[in-house]
Amino acid sequence: MQHIVKNLSEYLLTFLVILTLNFVLPRVMPGDPFLFLSSDIGEEIARFTPAQEAAYRQQYGLHRPWPQQYGIYLLRLLRGDLGYSIYYNQEVMAILLARLPWTLLLVLSAVFLSTIFGTLLGSLSAAFRDRAPDRIIYPLMITMSEIPPFLLGLVLLFVLAASMHLFPLSGAMTHFARHENIWSTLTDIAHHATLPVLTLTLVRTGAMYLLARNAMTTVLTRDYIRTARAKGLGPARILARHSLRNAMIPVITRVFLSLGGLVGSAILVENVFAYPGLGRLMRESVMVHDYPMIQGIFLMVTLFVLLANGLADLAYRRLDPRIAEKRGGRS
Amino acid sequence: MKTVSLAATASSDSASKAARIRKRYLSRSGRCALFLLLTIALLSIAAPLVTSHSPQIVSGPSLASPSLAHPLGTDELGVDLWAQLVFGGRISLIVGIATAILAGIGGGIIGIIAGYRGGLTDRLIMRLIDILLVLPDLPVMIVLAAFFGPSVVTFFVVLSAFSWVTTARIVRSRVLVLRERGYIKMAESYGAGTFYLLHRHFLPEIFPLATVGMIRLAGRAIVAEAGLSFLGLGDPTSRSWGLIMHHALSFNGIYYTDFWKWWLLSPWLALTLTVTALAILGRDLEKIADPRMEKRQC
Amino acid sequence: MNKLLDILFVVLLFCVAGCDDNQANQANQAEKYDESTAKSPAVVDVIHLEGGDWGYPTPFAHYPRGPGGFKMALIFDSLLERDEKGLIPWLATAYSIEDKGLTYRFRIRPGVYWQDGTILTPEDVAFSLQYANRYGATWSYVHHALDTITVENDSVVVRLREPQAVMLDSIGRTRIIPKHIWEKVDNPKEFTTPDAIIGCGPYTLSAYSKEHGTYRFTAFDNYWGPKPRVKTIEFVPVSEPILAYENHELDMVGVPPDVLPRFQEIKSNRIIRNPAFWGYRLLFNMGRVKVLQDVRIRRATALGIDRQELVDKIARGAAIPGRLSILPPDHVMAAHDLADLPLDPVQARALLAEVGNVPAMELLCSGQEVRIAELLRQRLGEVGIDLSIKTVDGKSRDARVRGRDYQLAIIGHGGWGGDAGYLSTHLLGDVFDQNAAPSASGIDGFEAPELAALLSQQATEIDADKRRESLHQIQHLAIELVPEIPLFYTAGYTAYRPATYDGWMNMYDHHSMQHSKLSYLERSGAAAKR
Repeated sequence: MQHIVKNLSEYLLTFLVILTLNFVLPRVMPGDPFLFLSSDIGEEIARFTPAQEAAYRQQYGLHRPWPQQYGIYLLRLLRGDLGYSIYYNQEVMAILLARLPWTLLLVLSAVFLSTIFGTLLGSLSAAFRDRAPDRIIYPLMITMSEIPPFLLGLVLLFVLAASMHLFPLSGAMTHFARHENIWSTLTDIAHHATLPVLTLTLVRTGAMYLLARNAMTTVLTRDYIRTARAKGLGPARILARHSLRNAMIPVITRVFLSLGGLVGSAILVENVFAYPGLGRLMRESVMVHDYPMIQGIFLMVTLFVLLANGLADLAYRRLDPRIAEKRGGRS
Repeated sequence: MKTVSLAATASSDSASKAARIRKRYLSRSGRCALFLLLTIALLSIAAPLVTSHSPQIVSGPSLASPSLAHPLGTDELGVDLWAQLVFGGRISLIVGIATAILAGIGGGIIGIIAGYRGGLTDRLIMRLIDILLVLPDLPVMIVLAAFFGPSVVTFFVVLSAFSWVTTARIVRSRVLVLRERGYIKMAESYGAGTFYLLHRHFLPEIFPLATVGMIRLAGRAIVAEAGLSFLGLGDPTSRSWGLIMHHALSFNGIYYTDFWKWWLLSPWLALTLTVTALAILGRDLEKIADPRMEKRQC
Repeated sequence: MNKLLDILFVVLLFCVAGCDDNQANQANQAEKYDESTAKSPAVVDVIHLEGGDWGYPTPFAHYPRGPGGFKMALIFDSLLERDEKGLIPWLATAYSIEDKGLTYRFRIRPGVYWQDGTILTPEDVAFSLQYANRYGATWSYVHHALDTITVENDSVVVRLREPQAVMLDSIGRTRIIPKHIWEKVDNPKEFTTPDAIIGCGPYTLSAYSKEHGTYRFTAFDNYWGPKPRVKTIEFVPVSEPILAYENHELDMVGVPPDVLPRFQEIKSNRIIRNPAFWGYRLLFNMGRVKVLQDVRIRRATALGIDRQELVDKIARGAAIPGRLSILPPDHVMAAHDLADLPLDPVQARALLAEVGNVPAMELLCSGQEVRIAELLRQRLGEVGIDLSIKTVDGKSRDARVRGRDYQLAIIGHGGWGGDAGYLSTHLLGDVFDQNAAPSASGIDGFEAPELAALLSQQATEIDADKRRESLHQIQHLAIELVPEIPLFYTAGYTAYRPATYDGWMNMYDHHSMQHSKLSYLERSGAAAKR
């Protein structure tokens, strides 16, 4: 019990520090969101008069001293109000909720697929350790896991999309398309998501593979497996019944932990494929210095990572029977 | 039971037997990787000797394809790409080495302090590490790059600030274990000073760990710098590999012309080879440095 | 060796991919599009254009950046409209300028309906002007510039604080909004309910998605004016516009110069060169860097920069070299008989030798201009001006330019086709507020009393010919004094299929045909071709 409280308070402290950093960082960026002297190539300029700028600044509370802004920021957060985006003219929360599902689609699909493939290949490798299958798969996986996601994404973009026209170059779906049924819509979305998900999956599979391979190897050489073999149980049964479950523990905790790491990769990949998720939103808002938006994205991403870490912790404690036992004894 | 043998057998009958022998040398791919890295480093350091063109000055026609005069062609301004590549390698080299050293040594020292001192110091440091681990590094780097302005120094500072954590954690765990060892306790009871202990006992154990960690760090730093440059946040006149790719992709019509075949492909290849080589080398060294990582049983 | 094999495999993939595409595509295109240029039907069902999220299309909520304002203009009409030659009466059937430019009188058209069925009255117009005066619109032209606005029978009379030539255009462009909806709104930027997009223009917004950047506009049946020729306009985001256009997913596309040959081969494409109204310029901070006050250094800079090279390498030929007379050649007030400074590094070096020691200076730009900066650094270095490049992100650069915290800077923006009054801000540098009168002192350090006087004069000159004369003089002085150097004006290419739709036109001061309201309407009645 004490343990849980201690853990919680630690997380809370971490969270508070992050909130403060979140507040300070966008504000130390030079350049203000209301100044428009230059424009993108081919676009009109908009020049706000100084009176307009002052009015907007007041509207967004940016004329108040920092400590006061900080207080307001914290109070609003308690109400779940993330503020109003200066550039997008809409509530930050609304925009985030609209874009979040796309990022989640990429990240969760990638985690799911990479875990499955990684585990399968890893188990295969472990079973045939140092023999032919392992010798082929191992170096391939190592290489794959080390190539940075955006580099991999570029290859896929050029080869599969730009050259072979197998996949669209960007976007999440075909718009204003008349879909007859839900399957057609889902297929369209899947088609657009294939390359980004493939990129993220390939990047993650290597790590999962290695983990599964190691874990499975350890388990396979344990005594209880020998017993099972001695009992005459077939290899498949051994694999499924006995080894997999124990090998899964580090894999599952790793899955949760890797969710956090995937967020960074997702940002880059979304920009490569112009996918309308949080990653692209982040880059756009940094470009226009939209403070509330930047803060909102940071917060959401950080919360996500904290949650993933917390879940990993929880999963580890619950799944590993040794710890579960110890927890009962200690207090 | 572990069999420790210094002898290397190039061929053996059963795979499991080979696995049991502890290697004290690099594998074939490890040596390949090392060779590759040294070549790249050498080319970058000796850049002015390897190319007669300047990486900053227009020296040829715009978007020329590879030829004798320009072995990798030119970009849209007419600047030789091979020159940009070898000079750009310096950026990766500097970023990789500097970050690795700073973060590795810094992380190592902090890890030792945390592990050895324990108590409040340890708790504070662990708290700091946890916070840094949770902060999503890329968004923070993007914002910091916007704040400090794009430059190599910014990267170096920002990357180091994030990278020291992993080394610190690993080193700390090791120190925690070491601290309880019998001979350490004995030395303490004899009045051995902290510095002596550090120097004589801890460092030799920590050093291999830290070194391997630093290679990892270098790889990640190079990738991070390339990623940020690729997003357009790098020092725009630096010729870093990520930046060359950024300029190539910003070119209007890159998908419909042939220019990417040399403009985009060469920095991509350079980056991928370097990063992969570093990773393979790192893994190999890991196996040598810490036999526990191999999880071998008898 | 395994690792190397993997990398080689990927490289091979790249090469294979690169090899086969171009020829195959061109062959396909030649087979499919064999139609000759036919005329498009009078009324077209739907047109697809490239999308992107530019904000909810009300005059106060669309984003400052991007073409959101043009989408908004499809829904909201204004007093005057723009055709190929100039301003035409629109919601105002006639206008007159009185009191030497202090008073503007607009007669309001009867029989105009709002999209919610109510009828437009002169009170609505007066209200809109007052509202825009009070709360600046996103693209604001009249914020705090109007003194009094009154309604007299069927006309609206506007009185300014002081006469300004640009105000006819500015008032003419202000969007007219329904009083009965907006009079209760005191936070217009955040007013984004369905009520907010009720205008009296030719189109209504029938669909909008922020995160995807899609818009759909449907023709308004009860529109007062020329009938819309396009029933539905759909803005759809596409990954690659060129591919999308070739697949008939888009009906108009900007063509990068390197891809032009591929488009020119296809007979059914019509390719237009856009007027050059977007450009980059090099700024001199004469206030902070004393040595830049010497006109010889500025002239040497102009002589040392190869503007044609910038056009060839940066814009790949799709641009026009900058002119020291500032106004681009397509501008209605551009002077065409003035001799510009040519590229002459020898003379540049001679001028610099006269001056003596020129200190090294810092050139500020954002990531978008860094390639330009690199070329400038090289060429100016060859004549003896040493520059170091400092890059910051776009907003930071803007802030530093506004705060005069730079030595030399490159900045790029549009609007070069707009009212020539912007010369005040270019030449006297200080004032970025379109509505403020140009200050006589101008930038610190830049002494140009004759220029300042001329600029003041043209700002209040109502007579078009006299104004043109003043502007001619101003452009002449600009070449002599070199207060800034326009580097180049982009002039891209646009392609469309006349057989699908052929109503595209360019407004006299803008480069993009899909931004013109008249592109979508019949050229009859108020929109008749002149």
